[in-house]
Amino acid sequence: MRAALMDRDWRNGWAFAAPGLLMLAVVMGFPLAYAAVISVSSLTLLRPSLTPFVGLANYAAMMNDPLFWGALWLTIKYSVVTVAGEFVIGLAVALMINRTVTMKPVYFAVLTIPMAMSPVSVALIWRMLLQPNLGIVNHTLEALGLPRVDWLGNADLALWTMAGIDIWQQTSFVVLILAAGLASLPRDPYEAAEVDGATPFHQFWYITLPMLRPVAAIAVIIQLINEFRTYDLPYILTKGGPGTSTEVLSFFAYRRAFLGLHLNEGAAASFVLLLIVLGLTVLFFATLERRR
Amino acid sequence: MQLKCSLKAALLGATLLAAVPAHAQSVTLRALMEDVPETQIIEKMLPEFEKETGIKVEFEKIGYGDMHDKLVAQLVSPESYYNVLEVDFLWAGEFPTAGWLEDLNPYIAKSGFDLKPFIPSMLDLLGQTKDATPILPMYNYSMGLIYRTDLLEDAKVKAAYKAKTGKELVPPKTLAEYVELSKFFKAGGQVVGAAMQGQRGDPNAMEFSNYLFSAGGAYLDAGRKVALNSPEGLTALKLYADNVQNGAQQGALSATLDDTMRLMCAGDAFSMVTYWWMLPQLDNKEKCPKVAGKLALSVMPGGHGESGGWGWGIPKNTSDESKAAAWKFIEWVQGKKASVARALEGHAPVRADVYTDPAVLAKYPFYKTALDVVASGKSFPIFAYSAQYEDVLGAQLSLAAGGQAKPEDALKAAADGLTQLLAK
Repeated sequence: MRAALMDRDWRNGWAFAAPGLLMLAVVMGFPLAYAAVISVSSLTLLRPSLTPFVGLANYAAMMNDPLFWGALWLTIKYSVVTVAGEFVIGLAVALMINRTVTMKPVYFAVLTIPMAMSPVSVALIWRMLLQPNLGIVNHTLEALGLPRVDWLGNADLALWTMAGIDIWQQTSFVVLILAAGLASLPRDPYEAAEVDGATPFHQFWYITLPMLRPVAAIAVIIQLINEFRTYDLPYILTKGGPGTSTEVLSFFAYRRAFLGLHLNEGAAASFVLLLIVLGLTVLFFATLERRR
Repeated sequence: MQLKCSLKAALLGATLLAAVPAHAQSVTLRALMEDVPETQIIEKMLPEFEKETGIKVEFEKIGYGDMHDKLVAQLVSPESYYNVLEVDFLWAGEFPTAGWLEDLNPYIAKSGFDLKPFIPSMLDLLGQTKDATPILPMYNYSMGLIYRTDLLEDAKVKAAYKAKTGKELVPPKTLAEYVELSKFFKAGGQVVGAAMQGQRGDPNAMEFSNYLFSAGGAYLDAGRKVALNSPEGLTALKLYADNVQNGAQQGALSATLDDTMRLMCAGDAFSMVTYWWMLPQLDNKEKCPKVAGKLALSVMPGGHGESGGWGWGIPKNTSDESKAAAWKFIEWVQGKKASVARALEGHAPVRADVYTDPAVLAKYPFYKTALDVVASGKSFPIFAYSAQYEDVLGAQLSLAAGGQAKPEDALKAAADGLTQLLAK
């Protein structure tokens, strides 16, 4: 009897999930599979034919390109810095909002504005603000008696300028997730800690942070995936320059596919990016599980 | 009887309607255009074309950097959204090789369109062979030097230059003299010496080409072998990097044409190496009051600059009806009448007969110099991977100009990149 019920639940479960899974297979599975096929084919925009298949030659060509390794290293640096920045600032803002009693909806509405803007618009706006000769940022610096800064034309600074813009836009997403996590934490441990004489810092360190870990992990992993895929900002702000100082992996893949006309190599680069992101996700969740 | 009459009237009406050319009612031409003055000049004339032919033309205007990708995506699709194409000379190797463009020769033959007035080098630049004409020239963008005459004539500046260099302050005759002059102005602190478009890719590749040709260098020799890594090439790159670092505006390595235009217009720069048709845009009292009447154009010091051009093409993946309408538009817009009308608004002609038109010369006497700029221009290498080569070269130029690579190493890498792409 129990086995029959379980069997029926199993069938019902699949029946309910099937439409969604089918939709996913069509809109995600098919393009992914097609990209995988392209990555082992000889298809270019000048010779639009999948055959002959070339195995892993496109991957090998990419791995032999020093620019690929440079782009990979830049992407890692960029992602780590932006996610760390977003998390630290996001947590601080979320904690402040959590303590406020009034006007919370106003704060949330204001915080949503950067997140609601498209990255292309954000990049264009910041490009104007940071224009070295006519932009308002340098104008303000000059008015304050400070030297003008070459935000995007200096190879040592361009990547970090881009990271700053990214943090400006993406932090609000982290704030919203962490604020929701903070609001859902139980009050009992805090009351017990107060009775035991714990300071606010001790409460934050020994209660808030550990209890917030699952939500924080979600925020970090989503942002890490986002940052690894960053494309809009370098495209609009720097075109990968000066030199190769802002050529992140997704921009490298774009160059291969559309400037080099080699869709196959572009697809191979995209798959490497996908594997890295997948690997990071698995590693992150495995670590999280172990700590539990 | 009444019914019979009504039927006859209806039939007559239907026959008259059928006699009106189908495209006049149904075809809308759509083109992706670079957002530059030339496009705006043509756009103003579109109602006239629509009135004459009944064919509507819509321009979608965007920055150059986004055009190639948007066009390629349409050209590889089953049917292109754009049914008349604005094609850069840098794509004149790639697009026909990929089989994306109609050969215009049958259209030219059928309509009796006269190609003789077109400057031959413009037809060559845009990929004409003895068998095919994939692209019809639209306008040229040969590059020259635009500089401030008021600064060169300023007595104080003249004296300061003489005191510093022992030489008279005159327009530069060589590339080295130009860079020296540019650095002098920047050191003076009043203006920067050169408004430079050093962003990696098309902006710096085009700009550097002028330095290369001015210094006597070349990308390819007569046998189409790579000749970039030469003493002349090295001189050009060293002078280019020197000017970016010591003569140009802050942020030159991330600047595009728009940035340089704004800087020059604001009166904050002595010179810019740019497209010659930027002169009427800058020499405009309403748009650029600070510099209007104080500018001159010359051929690049050294005698040669970069020559480029845009053309019109018709995609293969569009309907026959659209193709016919597209040719009608191309024929109209590149005809003598429309070309002269465009030139009177600042168009950069591709027809020799427009440069010598009395009305055009009366309004713009500098078109005489412009013809010299066009005639002395040399071309960036045109082949299937020209767009990619711009990026490869642009990255190396950016590295050298930013001090991240030695000019010798950057030049070698740029030459090797060209060799590899030509061998593909």
